[in-house]
Amino acid sequence: MVRCAGRGPRRILDAVIELRRLTKRYGGALAVDDLSFTVEPGHVTGFLGPNGAGKSTSMRLVLGLDAPTSGVALVNGRRYASLRRPMREVGALLDAGAVHGGRSAYNHLLCLARTNGIGPLRVAEVLEQVGLSGVARKRVGTFSLGMKQRLGIAAALLGDPGVLMFDEPVNGLDPDGVRWIRDLMRTLAHEGRTVLLSSHLMSEMALTADRIVVIGRGRLIAEATVQELTARYPSLEDAYMALTAGSVQYGASR
Amino acid sequence: MSVLASEWLKVRSVRSSYLTLGLSLAAILLGYGLAVMAKGMFDSAPPAQQAKARIAELEEVVVMVPQLCLGVLGVLAITSEHATGLIRTSLTVVPRRWPLLAAKTAVVGGLGLVVGPATVFGTYAVARWVLGDRFSGAYSVPFGARWPLLAALSLTVVVFALLGLGLGAILRSTAASIAILVGLVYVIPIVIGNLPEPWSERFGSVMIGALPREIAGDFPTDSVYGSLLPPVPAMVVLAAYAVVPVVTALWLIRRRDA
Repeated sequence: MVRCAGRGPRRILDAVIELRRLTKRYGGALAVDDLSFTVEPGHVTGFLGPNGAGKSTSMRLVLGLDAPTSGVALVNGRRYASLRRPMREVGALLDAGAVHGGRSAYNHLLCLARTNGIGPLRVAEVLEQVGLSGVARKRVGTFSLGMKQRLGIAAALLGDPGVLMFDEPVNGLDPDGVRWIRDLMRTLAHEGRTVLLSSHLMSEMALTADRIVVIGRGRLIAEATVQELTARYPSLEDAYMALTAGSVQYGASR
Repeated sequence: MSVLASEWLKVRSVRSSYLTLGLSLAAILLGYGLAVMAKGMFDSAPPAQQAKARIAELEEVVVMVPQLCLGVLGVLAITSEHATGLIRTSLTVVPRRWPLLAAKTAVVGGLGLVVGPATVFGTYAVARWVLGDRFSGAYSVPFGARWPLLAALSLTVVVFALLGLGLGAILRSTAASIAILVGLVYVIPIVIGNLPEPWSERFGSVMIGALPREIAGDFPTDSVYGSLLPPVPAMVVLAAYAVVPVVTALWLIRRRDA
């Protein structure tokens, strides 16, 4: 991967995501409940939990999109909202569909890049990196879900940040794309970045992640390495099923 | 500054902007058509009727098109981001939030400031060219006597653009914002027109449609609105239509979950 000169790995190595007693209440519903964990650099951290467990809410709280009811979320030791050039420190993909269908991929990325003083050369670079150079001038509305996922990942990479968060980036990708994401996540982590990745695909997570954070009903259930979990259970999927058995809110009866 | 560049590109990179701006400028053609029809009617009337014939200010009719178009442009500038969820990405890259809305205000207001005068003064020029000194010289009076009203009409286009943006940011819904915008131009004046006096004239005087004439100090006796406000208070009321929603939106955007 081409890295820009002058932006060394030292900045990246101390990049962390830290949740301290984070709580978010929407009306009467407790979406995140006294949640504390730390995501450290150098490996891919898988973020697991049943639907409605609070994964996306946690990510929104880290990005300052929602205000916590109590507790704090810190990125590199600071509140996200206090970052002046946030794209250079944190990249995030929350929802690949969150794009204006009438705008071209290139313009979509340039709109985001401009706000953080990032130029068109870097936009072309990330488009190349995610394999969308050929459709850069096409309207995003014509893209498949997989292509939108790639575009969302390109947006997250724009500022060459040390911290990356991806909410279910594998959805909609073809097998080729799934492998590409796996390799990309591992490369980013090996470069010393902090990578938080949520997914419901356990077999894929077992191949991609080094560490796992499991939450259910907004609370922390487990924080462990993949090795620890697969040593105790037959597979990561079995570990997940056992750990979240008590906190599935929207499951069919078995 | 960088956020402004981003917002300028956002407007330039979607088709709806070109549609609303193009439609606004096309309103000059509407003005031209109305002028040609008026000219035809005037020229075929007997001299006794010609002497009594009057014509409404065509700019006042035509300006409704850029008002609504720029209003819709203002609404879409923010609600298109809410509809798609793009707003979350936008707020993630500009976490202080208010610069995002400030930049949208500058872009949308700036476009209103170009398109408003272009349409209003363009319509005036075309009508003057077509009508000459017909209708007792309505379009051959010196420009100096007409420009205050034309300038005030142009400003209403800016006000609609910012009102649309403010409503869109507050309501986060395209349909609701446009419904209120259209209601303000067409529905509420009709309701107010049917109120008993003196309330009809009092409320009518603060409607956007009444303000340009009050600002220009040009009071027709047959106004469908009211004409109670002197120029300076009328100017303040017109500004409030833009400032109140935008400031409310700036206040809200920092406090609400995205």
